[in-house]
Amino acid sequence: MIRRVLAALLRLAPRSFRSRHAEEFLAVHDARRRTGGGGVGFAVREIVGTVWMVARLRLGRADTTTTTTTTGGAGPMETLGQDLRFAVRSLLRNPGFAFTAVVVLALGIGANTAIFSAANAFLFRPLPFAESDRLVSLYETNPEFGWQHANAAPANVLDWAEQVDAFESVAMYSSFLNEATWIGADGEPRLFRVSSVTGNFFDVLGVPAALGRSFRDDETWSPDDRVVVLSHGLWTREFGADPGVVGRTIDFGTTRSEVVGVMPEGFTFPTEETDLWTPWGWDRANRDAVWFRRAHWVLPVARLSAGATPAEADAQLQVVVERLSREYPGTNRVMGAGLMPMRRFLTRDVRAPLGVLLGAVAVLLLLACVNVANLVLVRGADRGREVALRYALGSGRWRVVRLMLTESFVLAGIGGALGLGLGWAGVLLIARLDRLGIDGATGVALDGRVVVFVLAATLLSGVLFGLLPALGTSGRRSHEALKAGGRGASGGGARSGLVRLMVGAEVALALLLVVGAGLMVRSFWLLRDVDPGFATQGTLAVTFQVPSSRYEERNDVLAFYDRLLEALEARPDIEAAGTVGQLPLNGTSWSSSFQAEGWPPDRVGFEILHRRADAGYFEALEIPLIRGRMFGPLDGPEAPLVVLINETFAAEHFPGEDPVGQRIAYDRTAAQNPDDSNWYEVVGIVADQHQVAPGRPPRPEVFENRNQDWGRRNWIVVRTGGDPLEVVPTVRAVLAELDPLIPVSDVRPLRQVWRGSMAREEFILTLLGVFGVVALLLAAVGVYGVTAQAARARTHEIGIRMALGAAAPSVVALMVRQALYVVGLGLLVGLGASVAASRVLSGFLFGIEPTDPGTLMAVVALLGGVAAVACYVPARRATAVDPVRSLRAE
Amino acid sequence: MPDRTTPPTPLTYQILLALADADRHGYGIIKEIEERAAAAAPSTGALYLALQRMEGNGLIADAPAPAGEESDDSRRRYYRITPHGRSVAEEESRRLSDLVEAARSKSLLAPGR
Repeated sequence: MIRRVLAALLRLAPRSFRSRHAEEFLAVHDARRRTGGGGVGFAVREIVGTVWMVARLRLGRADTTTTTTTTGGAGPMETLGQDLRFAVRSLLRNPGFAFTAVVVLALGIGANTAIFSAANAFLFRPLPFAESDRLVSLYETNPEFGWQHANAAPANVLDWAEQVDAFESVAMYSSFLNEATWIGADGEPRLFRVSSVTGNFFDVLGVPAALGRSFRDDETWSPDDRVVVLSHGLWTREFGADPGVVGRTIDFGTTRSEVVGVMPEGFTFPTEETDLWTPWGWDRANRDAVWFRRAHWVLPVARLSAGATPAEADAQLQVVVERLSREYPGTNRVMGAGLMPMRRFLTRDVRAPLGVLLGAVAVLLLLACVNVANLVLVRGADRGREVALRYALGSGRWRVVRLMLTESFVLAGIGGALGLGLGWAGVLLIARLDRLGIDGATGVALDGRVVVFVLAATLLSGVLFGLLPALGTSGRRSHEALKAGGRGASGGGARSGLVRLMVGAEVALALLLVVGAGLMVRSFWLLRDVDPGFATQGTLAVTFQVPSSRYEERNDVLAFYDRLLEALEARPDIEAAGTVGQLPLNGTSWSSSFQAEGWPPDRVGFEILHRRADAGYFEALEIPLIRGRMFGPLDGPEAPLVVLINETFAAEHFPGEDPVGQRIAYDRTAAQNPDDSNWYEVVGIVADQHQVAPGRPPRPEVFENRNQDWGRRNWIVVRTGGDPLEVVPTVRAVLAELDPLIPVSDVRPLRQVWRGSMAREEFILTLLGVFGVVALLLAAVGVYGVTAQAARARTHEIGIRMALGAAAPSVVALMVRQALYVVGLGLLVGLGASVAASRVLSGFLFGIEPTDPGTLMAVVALLGGVAAVACYVPARRATAVDPVRSLRAE
Repeated sequence: MPDRTTPPTPLTYQILLALADADRHGYGIIKEIEERAAAAAPSTGALYLALQRMEGNGLIADAPAPAGEESDDSRRRYYRITPHGRSVAEEESRRLSDLVEAARSKSLLAPGR
């Protein structure tokens, strides 16, 4: 490795040196490494030494006089050491400057480290599967329903798998977790979360079991032999990592399953919560059943055949899709399909926010670099004399530039090290990225790639903020600096122009970030003001499964729910209780098309959402009935089927009609074959609830009666007068009284559900907010530093003005005016850039445009105000000095 | 001609010293320096930079491989100190020795050590 680096470096040496010494050089290096020079220190010294040698050979210095004053004749390491010592001494002489620069850089590099770590985990690191670049995710599309990356129907996937040659094999899984209850040795019920997959799932991913075996292909189709594979986590947690678990049978009450294998540690796909996997065990008869082609709930992943490209596979897939649409017009008439690399598919929801955040931190780092460059420049103004002295003593320009660059790299190095620490802290925060809703195939962590990134960011920033001022300052070769009495009358024309340019750039960059933060803040306020349509305060939801082992029949389950709700409402701290199949803003259950009785055949309502609920749900969450009636005691299991619809449903599908009393069926051909369908009478209209997100309008939704469309899994919703978490023990106690063996799988205050639905916006808001505040601070520091330096340089002039009778306020005004001129230019440029760049935020904004004038004006005012204060303070201080003293200061 | 009023760098002097009693190849020079000086030897890059420069200044020159080492790696190049190099080394040795005398006379160094 080192040798290869050295060989590469040697190729950069002049030809004459190479032909004479290159081979020998490497031979000597090899010999030294063999005889004990294996350490990191040796490697670094060898590389640095070689870089140095090549540079010197190239610069034609090696052949000149043995010893010259430019390097003191020392070897590279000694010279470097000398430069470093000098740089550290020089920085220590000015600790305020060094401290500020290091903090600024650490902030910039830290923010980049944190965000890059996340980006690395989601966008760059390969998935932990074998040859993961050959894995593609498949999905269905449907323009009629507005589907883009929809779950697929298994029958379609099976046809694709058989008819697309470019697919070596296709597996299916689901992001939905089933639950299985297991009574542990201690008699306590445990809840295991189960991912259902096809038998070839692990083979397609290319991950073998760590213990035992994974599933066989034919186990997809064996409903009777239940087998499971354990996750490493469950195996260690519940089975003491006992290898003997393979072959054991686990009794889940309703089913008994044989453990056939254990997956390796770290395999957590498709979700991190997955405790065990089980093959679907479908009946082969399903293959031809209509529902197998109509219900879209599986996530297919295909392994491409060797040599096949995704484009070829897609082309073949489209042919098959076309064929299926002709063969099965009832289900597939407008059903399309597509594919994309699996990692892209899994991270499709985070790419955009991460892109925005990456852009933001890049701007922040640039801002930090400009800021430090400015500090260095301003400091350089005070160092003009030192530099001139060095020239006078015979230093070459390159030597002076190198000295100043070394200082920059020392600063960048310390800043980078601190930034890495800061970034690590940030990563721990971002590790809560599940808020962005990501599947479990990836993990945010600091790895080699991140460290390399930090190193590169550090070096780059060192060059960025070091080179410009170094060249700018070192250019002053004139004797003027020596004569000018050290401080220089006004800091030199060209350099002060550069300083102003950079202050303008700082203000512009800061504005960009603060506008982003401002837009997110404004948007988030609007989002929080959206009424979700249900009571978020004092309400709690609990979910569990009613096991079929002890509650076999529908009536057993319904009776259990009735008893539970009655017992809950009897408690003094619970005002109302009800059940619902799925909480609003917590994912949706299922959707379908529908027709109303008497509709013409071509009139179809697409994509209505379904939920089952009871009257108690609407009461507990304070969702008002708008028209008609609520579910009543007479709407029993055997009574005529009744449903409630929401206002959006009524407005969208029954405009100008009264839906109450109409009958609907969830079938797009129901009106033609009324006898084949289940008809539901709409008995009432309830107020809208936001189902998907507070920022998305409510969708048409129909509520089935839980006594008629019953299920074993529901959410129990309760309303209490006070803190919802305080009634959790009550709810648990009531449940345990009725059945101590039912484990509660989730407890969520509705308030948390509501906040959780805005987590993505809140997350971006929080980060952009932090960046915005940092940017504001950096801009303030920059403006302050420059004004303070200008004031210092002009102490003499100010003294004269004031001695001649100028009032302090007018002198202050003059200086502030001059500084604000640059700030104003920066604001203008920044405003233009913001208008251009803030479009990238439009996907995350709610209720405002990216060019929202109110926000832009507020941000400009804020930044301008901060800048005004930042120049007023040093200007005021300069005039507060007694004129006599300021004149003597020379 | 090199400026003989300025002393050679420490590394140049070390190399001259290593070649004073025998012709050596690059690795031999490094080993010699390592044995003598407690301090770390120069990096390979620093050594070759110095060798190149010293050749240019006429302090050292190529030498044929010594008899008996023919079979050795043909990539090895041997270096020999030139008369000029020897005189620079001698001069530097005298200068250092004078410095040591001065140090001794000011009791910075115990006599005889």
